[in-house]
Amino acid sequence: MKLHTLPALILTLFSPSVIAQHKVPADTVIHHVLHEVIVSAGAFDASDKAKGASLTPIDAVTVAGSYADISLALRSLPGAQQIGEQSGLFVRGGTGDETKQFIDGTLLKNPNYPAVPGIQQYARINPFLFKGILFSSGGYSALYGQAMSSALILESVDLPEKSSASFSVFPTNLGAGMQHLASDNKSSYGANLNYSNQSFYHSIIPQKPDYFNGPEYLEGDANFRIKTGKKGMLKFYTNWNTSNVGMNNPDIDSSTLQSTYQVKGRNVYNNLSYRNYLTNDWKIDAGAAYSYNQDDVTNKLTDGTAHTVHIPYEPFSDKNNQRFTTSHFAQARVLFTRFLPHNQAIRFGVEHFYSEDKRIVSDSTRRLTDNLTAAFIEGDLYLTENLAARTGLRLEYSSITGKTVLAPRVSLAYRLKDGGQFNLAYGIFYQEPLNDFLYQTTHLTFSNAIHYVLNYTKKSNNRFFRVEAYYKQYNKLIKTIPEINNNGKGYAQGLELFWRDKKSIRNLDYWITYTYLDTKRDFLNYPHLLRPSFTAPHTTTVAIKKFFQNISTSFNLSYSLAAGRPYYDIHYNTTDKSTQIFDHGTTKTYSMMNLHVAYLCSFFKKWKRKDFSGIAFGVNNLLGTKQVFGYNYSFNGNNKVPVTPPATQSFFIGIFMSFGIDRTDDFLDNNL
Amino acid sequence: MKNLIIGLMAVVLSGFTGFAQTTSLQNAITKLDQSQTAKDYESLEKVFAAIASQGNDWLPYYYAAFCNARIGLLYQDDGDKIEPYSIRGEEQANKAKSLLDTTRQKNELSEVYTVMSMVYRTKVFINPMTYGRKYGMLSDQWLRQAKQFNPTNPRAMYVEAWVKYNTPKMWGGDKNLARQLATQSLKLLENATPDSQPHWGKAEDMELLSKYK
Repeated sequence: MKLHTLPALILTLFSPSVIAQHKVPADTVIHHVLHEVIVSAGAFDASDKAKGASLTPIDAVTVAGSYADISLALRSLPGAQQIGEQSGLFVRGGTGDETKQFIDGTLLKNPNYPAVPGIQQYARINPFLFKGILFSSGGYSALYGQAMSSALILESVDLPEKSSASFSVFPTNLGAGMQHLASDNKSSYGANLNYSNQSFYHSIIPQKPDYFNGPEYLEGDANFRIKTGKKGMLKFYTNWNTSNVGMNNPDIDSSTLQSTYQVKGRNVYNNLSYRNYLTNDWKIDAGAAYSYNQDDVTNKLTDGTAHTVHIPYEPFSDKNNQRFTTSHFAQARVLFTRFLPHNQAIRFGVEHFYSEDKRIVSDSTRRLTDNLTAAFIEGDLYLTENLAARTGLRLEYSSITGKTVLAPRVSLAYRLKDGGQFNLAYGIFYQEPLNDFLYQTTHLTFSNAIHYVLNYTKKSNNRFFRVEAYYKQYNKLIKTIPEINNNGKGYAQGLELFWRDKKSIRNLDYWITYTYLDTKRDFLNYPHLLRPSFTAPHTTTVAIKKFFQNISTSFNLSYSLAAGRPYYDIHYNTTDKSTQIFDHGTTKTYSMMNLHVAYLCSFFKKWKRKDFSGIAFGVNNLLGTKQVFGYNYSFNGNNKVPVTPPATQSFFIGIFMSFGIDRTDDFLDNNL
Repeated sequence: MKNLIIGLMAVVLSGFTGFAQTTSLQNAITKLDQSQTAKDYESLEKVFAAIASQGNDWLPYYYAAFCNARIGLLYQDDGDKIEPYSIRGEEQANKAKSLLDTTRQKNELSEVYTVMSMVYRTKVFINPMTYGRKYGMLSDQWLRQAKQFNPTNPRAMYVEAWVKYNTPKMWGGDKNLARQLATQSLKLLENATPDSQPHWGKAEDMELLSKYK
């Protein structure tokens, strides 16, 4: 028997914020629906209401090796690729840009710190902020759009359980935070500050690039949450961060020169959301988001003594440049839900996205302003006792391209007598071209993907089995040759398995996934349909979590194994404006094992408010496997340089502490 | 005269149904004392719920809730299944409580709170990670109330022993205390009579204590 709950502490490993769970509902909703059919094709729903072996947000984000980055954590689920050289989530043949994150309904436009070539940059927002994580790898709801491959639908926590303060000290990272819960348990506020500088760590563990700055990250966030009425909630979250990464690498086209890259980022993100019941049958969800992002990138060609070198011919003429990009983004959204008998509901709403982007490249300025408006409607229908459907429509208009599109979405769920369930989903998913292309021409249209998903799930005995097959067709992808156009296309199909078992071995929780992916694309500068360089045909992942009660220690192990990915050396031929593949191959197998250990204790047992603390350490790439993600080629194709992680292994060790002022007793005394 | 006869008949009849109810309740309780599997408890729960709906007696509600708590505990490794039982159990325990006089029937209240505590304990097993902290604390709170109403309730003592036994040390578990409590509870149950009043606990105490050998 396991009475313990894995304490919130383990979760605070990287996070100064203490995990907040739902407050005890004063008005427990009593319902007699024993096992309702819930439409679930294409999605992993990690919720704080998860039962049995369903995922909780904590399960999802505490996978070893996830660096407190939700996209990295979700790579342990089927459908995602093990990409090590770029940020983001690459799902079912899609690029990282085809996955979008939504927090409380509104878009999180820049989830990660600005890109550094060949090196993953981590998330700006702490994943422990979320009490609900819905990872859709296909066929998601009409309430969301502008993501061709995948949507990550995140729900932030409500009121914290208690007031608390927390600290963490790691050689690369210092963090402090607090949460204050009002004595009437109706409102709270909090703030966190994190500073990370890896230069000390890099002086001990050598890295392949020669970093002359940082990597350095400073992030602060603040929030308030107010309960309005019995079921209403008003929440505000703001996050401010800056980053500075500067590095030298050997220039690929010469034997003596250095290529210098520096990126300074600034980002502000604000999210205001409100939800309430207007009557028993009507609910409103409203949200507004504003974000500002600024990336300042400098590329230089230098000699060994940090002097800039200018060489006026190819391939060196483009190697000294500066790119300064700013982006204002605002979104407003309102969603109404009308509840109907038998768990049926109709939802409808509108949203507007405003973006104003500016890019200055070596003294020339380009501007883009886009207004994207969407209206959507969706119905949850109960067809028979065992059959439910969710159908929706989404209309989108973008001012920058002047195009309007209508996206239908349908999913069906059929429950079997033994508790197993079949799900079927279909939908069209549109996405605007990236700014990189729109800066050059706005005579473009939406790209789209059509998804067909079939899945079977069975949950029982604290075990969870899921198998999913899908086919996807990509249309109107962006191609850059002969000029920028929408003539690209592609497909993806595959089969995915997920098995989680919390029962067979006492106190051991593990899951295993397998992902098969067959995909080809003709996009960007590809000369014809090719298997994209960010896709592996086979991927398998294992996540194991074990808590040893008698030594108060938790072990968290993850392993992923992926077949090699293709790589290409594609050359542009100026005479006939086409491209050709000069060289290609497949990288070696990717194999990565990560181990995290946390020992939980109390440093100040005698204190009136005993602390919940711990010591954590971890090794990423325990087996020391040499990873190669792909190859970079010199201009003439003669020099082929592997893209590898900055260091084979990474390590961390540190302590974390949390002091809580538990008001649960007050609350219980007042309410029982 | 006719009215008198009808009146008499009514009295006799109502007495008879009352008697029938008591016997069927007693029968169900006798069966309950021998039940072991979730299936047993499930069919008995239906019987208790049916008896409960016919009158205003707290006991059948109490026993129905107890069955639901038992089922939940037996399903502790199948979190997907527990919730409906815990919801029903909570409703029934609340109903039993509402039929009691809070100023006079302190021992009875203590019994209901003990079962309520067990029902909340089953909610923990739906998923200890997400439900554990909240419902674990609420379960403790109900148990504290049960002990307040009757400090020598052997069943409240047993539930406490069970919790102390199964909770990891760092979260307040204490195997020695568990043994003491179970022993004390067993002693109080020595002279328990198998009537319709709550009398369970002996077998449970012995089962817990057998783990110390």
